[in-house]
Amino acid sequence: MQHAFAPSASHPQPQQRQFNPYSENGGTILAIAGANFSVIAGDTRQSEGYSIQTRYAPKVFRLTDKAVLATNGFAADGNMFVKKVRQRLEWYRHAHAKDMSLRAIARLIQTMLYARRFFPYYVYNILGGIEEDGSGAVYSFDPVGSYEREACRAAGAAQSLVQPFLDNQIYFKNQTPAPGTSHPAHLPLNHVLSLVIDSFTSATERHIEVGDGLEMYVVLAKGTPLQGLDAIQGITEMTATDDGERMFIIRRNLKRD
Amino acid sequence: MDHFPLNWGRPRNDAVDSYSTYPITQRPNHAPKDAFSAGIQHTQQPIVTGTSVLAIKFKDGIMMAADNLASYGSLARFRDIQRLHAVGEHTVLGAGGDMSDFQYIQSILDELMIDEFAAGDGHALGPAEVHNYLSELMYARRSKMNPLWNAMLVGGFKDGQRFLAYVDMLGTTYSASTLATGYGAHIAQPLLRRAVEGREDTLDEEEARKIIEQSMKVLFYRDARSLDKYQIATITAAGVHISDSLQIETSWSFAEGLRGYGAQTQ
Amino acid sequence: MTSIGTGYDLSASTYSPDGRIFQVEYANKAVENSGTAIGLKVKDGVVLAVEKLVHSKLLVPGANRRIQTVDRHIGLATAGLPADGRTVASRARDEAANFRDVYRSPPTLKTVADRLGHFVQMYTLYSSVRPFGISTILGAVDKDGPALYVIEPSGVFFGYHGAAVGKGRQLAKTELEKLKLSELTAREAVIEAARIIYLVHEDAKEKEFELEMSWIGPETNNQHVAVPQDLFNEAEAKAREALVSGLE
Repeated sequence: MQHAFAPSASHPQPQQRQFNPYSENGGTILAIAGANFSVIAGDTRQSEGYSIQTRYAPKVFRLTDKAVLATNGFAADGNMFVKKVRQRLEWYRHAHAKDMSLRAIARLIQTMLYARRFFPYYVYNILGGIEEDGSGAVYSFDPVGSYEREACRAAGAAQSLVQPFLDNQIYFKNQTPAPGTSHPAHLPLNHVLSLVIDSFTSATERHIEVGDGLEMYVVLAKGTPLQGLDAIQGITEMTATDDGERMFIIRRNLKRD
Repeated sequence: MDHFPLNWGRPRNDAVDSYSTYPITQRPNHAPKDAFSAGIQHTQQPIVTGTSVLAIKFKDGIMMAADNLASYGSLARFRDIQRLHAVGEHTVLGAGGDMSDFQYIQSILDELMIDEFAAGDGHALGPAEVHNYLSELMYARRSKMNPLWNAMLVGGFKDGQRFLAYVDMLGTTYSASTLATGYGAHIAQPLLRRAVEGREDTLDEEEARKIIEQSMKVLFYRDARSLDKYQIATITAAGVHISDSLQIETSWSFAEGLRGYGAQTQ
Repeated sequence: MTSIGTGYDLSASTYSPDGRIFQVEYANKAVENSGTAIGLKVKDGVVLAVEKLVHSKLLVPGANRRIQTVDRHIGLATAGLPADGRTVASRARDEAANFRDVYRSPPTLKTVADRLGHFVQMYTLYSSVRPFGISTILGAVDKDGPALYVIEPSGVFFGYHGAAVGKGRQLAKTELEKLKLSELTAREAVIEAARIIYLVHEDAKEKEFELEMSWIGPETNNQHVAVPQDLFNEAEAKAREALVSGLE
């Protein structure tokens, strides 16, 4: 039986086409926390549908010397959100003459996201950096501000490809340790970096929205040795203050097809 | 009586009160009305539209092109419309999408540039500033669910730096050495990338012009909302130059052999 | 001052029995105490010049400009209270922008002067405000060619070939009358303007002054801009020369 209110060809319903204020710009982001460091990474492709808009649009941003924010989803919202977070951090600096702590930034981000609960920033955020106690930390958020601290998180187009890989390699899910041994709680920096690079080369192979370039931010806690970071080709130090934490960026090419 | 002179200080609105007939104490209220109760209509679709805009970087600056057509649906309504607009001495703005929205944006930018000129402080807005201003404008309007229905390219040259970036009705922005809006993003962009990527610093103006001309020709063959009359803007250290209208030379004789074209015998 | 003590000068909204508004007349006194400002409308353009009295050596050169830009093709010079000058200039810019907004074309100077005249006049009507203590010289090259207007504190405005307001206006007017304004080019007018400002400046009585000059003409693409440094230096040097030879 036809529903009484179903539109029919002879009596067409008035059509309402609504302007859609959102878009989806592809790409993937990822962050992993170590014992005394944190790595935050993202690819640099920006796309819409099947079109690559640009091969270089950063979506990982330095906030302070100990905090890095990666955004993924609707690029216009992401850029505007980062702009507003940075503005709040600047006001904090003017008021308190110091940088905001990582956990405070995390709460600030949740407040700012939830303030737009009924017209959300269509953005998945991952915040990485160093806590006040010197530990590496990763916070992940949903678009309306739910958040938690984790050891690792992937988000974006290739989240479903990367996150299971990280679960296996970082949390050792579905792995049993050799008799008499146990899985390490934290991995060393060089190991984490190769996991990140492998994650993105794999995602690039299998996901059309991932590729072109890779940007990896490394944040080291106070007094942490470089652990061979200085030997990495194409690494640039971005540390701006003498608070003790150090920040680096590593760039890599990804396949462009 | 309103005893606050600053409240009198609103410029007269000639559209409402052309002879200043209202006593200053009861001026008409031009304050924005509440969007909900006033039931204001917002743009839900573009009406008179322009199609693609193309732009590339070359050795000495930026080259941009757009045709002279403004369509009303599939009707080629206005055939002598300028879609490239100079903003000051260093910047060109090219737009596709709704042409009334674009002309409105032009007037906003013109006023902005006059304000900057009147400041007389020795600073001039460059392409980066104009692009950022536009992206904030477009994003603010989309956030009010009242977008300006355009996709635009901003190209410029200032202080020895080239600048080329995109902004659209959602406030989305990006930058690359070749850019194209609308249909051009699908048809011309791959051609532009093949011709330009990696050669941004060696292409001279003549080569750049060839690339642009070729791409505009392909677009005219393939895009049913395009016109064979277009303009090219070049922005270099010497400033902005927007050409007179140019004609695309085409040949359609090949089409005679195609089924569905021209008089069909069977 | 016959007005003092009568009670008729306390408010701009009160006439005296013989039909005068003393507050407006006092506003004119504020103008008369100010450094001279002149405007020359010539064959192909307009030149504005101001004798800006510098009341302290601590001031940064170029501070407190008294020539301001209203629109690309319109400039304005004021004599009187500098802060009032800024208010009027700001209003002038709003009116010019409003005209462009409505008519999508650059305003003629007459329109802007008309609207500014209305604005200034409003401040002569109410007891809650004081009239503007400035006279404004407006200059432009618009679609009808060069134009020059002066708005007084009463709100009245007239068009001129040459205008002078402020302290040295009498002497300046005499000098302006000697010139064949309609035959000068803007470039020549700059030289004359500098000479007149230097001439009317009373060296003995007054403190230091700074010459401020702007022009609109074919050499500026009909835009209102400051006189370029080389021409400015030339004009200033010639003005000093004329002063010295005039004394002999």
